[in-house]
Amino acid sequence: MAETTSQDLGIEAPPGDIQDRVVLRLPALGAYLSVVRTATASLASRLDFTLDDIEDLRIAVDEACAMLLAQAVAGADLECVFELSTEAIAVSVTVPTLDGLPPTRDTFAWTVLTALAGEVDATADADRCVTISLLKRRAELGEPVGAEAPAL
Amino acid sequence: MDVSLDDRQEGDRTIVVVGGEIDVYTAPKLREKLIDLVSAGHYHLVVDMEAVEFLDSTGLGVLVGGLKRVRAHEGSLRLVCTQDRILKIFRITGLTKVFPIHASVDEAVAATPDSA
Repeated sequence: MAETTSQDLGIEAPPGDIQDRVVLRLPALGAYLSVVRTATASLASRLDFTLDDIEDLRIAVDEACAMLLAQAVAGADLECVFELSTEAIAVSVTVPTLDGLPPTRDTFAWTVLTALAGEVDATADADRCVTISLLKRRAELGEPVGAEAPAL
Repeated sequence: MDVSLDDRQEGDRTIVVVGGEIDVYTAPKLREKLIDLVSAGHYHLVVDMEAVEFLDSTGLGVLVGGLKRVRAHEGSLRLVCTQDRILKIFRITGLTKVFPIHASVDEAVAATPDSA
C-alpha cells in the first residue's frame, strides 16, 4: 500500500515547516480506535493546540477511521500519517477497501468530521485504497453553527 | 477504556446510566442495552450521559435508533448531558432539536411524559 500524504490529495501541506512525520499502522479493527485517539491527542498536545482543538481533532480522526473501518478489507491494516508543523496537523488515514469508493458524505460521521476538522478530502486510488485526509490548524476560532434537525 | 451501562427504574421512567467511551467498538453494547429495555416493555428512557468521556457519530446513531424504537411504542427518550464537548456533537448534527436534553436526571424525570 503506497503511503498517501496530504499533498497527494490536493489538500495544502500544513503551514509552516513540517517538523515531523508520524506514521501509525494498526489492524483495521474498532478495538484500536482508542489507540488512534490517544495518539492524536498526544501529538496535538505537543504542538500546543488548545484543549478544544485537541478534542476536535481527536473526534475528527476517530470519525475518519471509523468510516474507513466500515469498508476495510478483512485483516487489513489502517495507516494513519500525521504531518506536524508549527501551525497545523495534517492527518491522512488510509485503508484497503473492497469497493474502492470514498465514503458517502450524507452521514452524521461526515458532518461531524467536516465540522471539526476544517479541511477534509476523501479519495480512492487504483488499488482500491481509500484515504481520508484532514487538516486542523492551530487555534481556529469559532464553533460550527448547529445544523438543521435531520429527518428521522 | 470501555463503556459502562447500568439501569434503574424511577416511577415509569427507566434511567440508563452510560459511562466511558462510546465509539464504533463499544456502541453495539449501548445498542443492545436499549433494544433489551424496549423489548422488556420500558418505553420511557432517560439516558444519563454525564459520565460519558467520548462520543462519536456511531453513538449518535445508536441513540437515534433508540429514539425510533421507543417512539414506535409512543414512548420517550430523554438525554441528560451538561458536558460542552459532548453537546457540541449533538449541535453539529442538529440532534439538539431532536432529543430533549436535560441538565439533570431529576429534571428529565420531572418532564412531561410526552412522546419525546
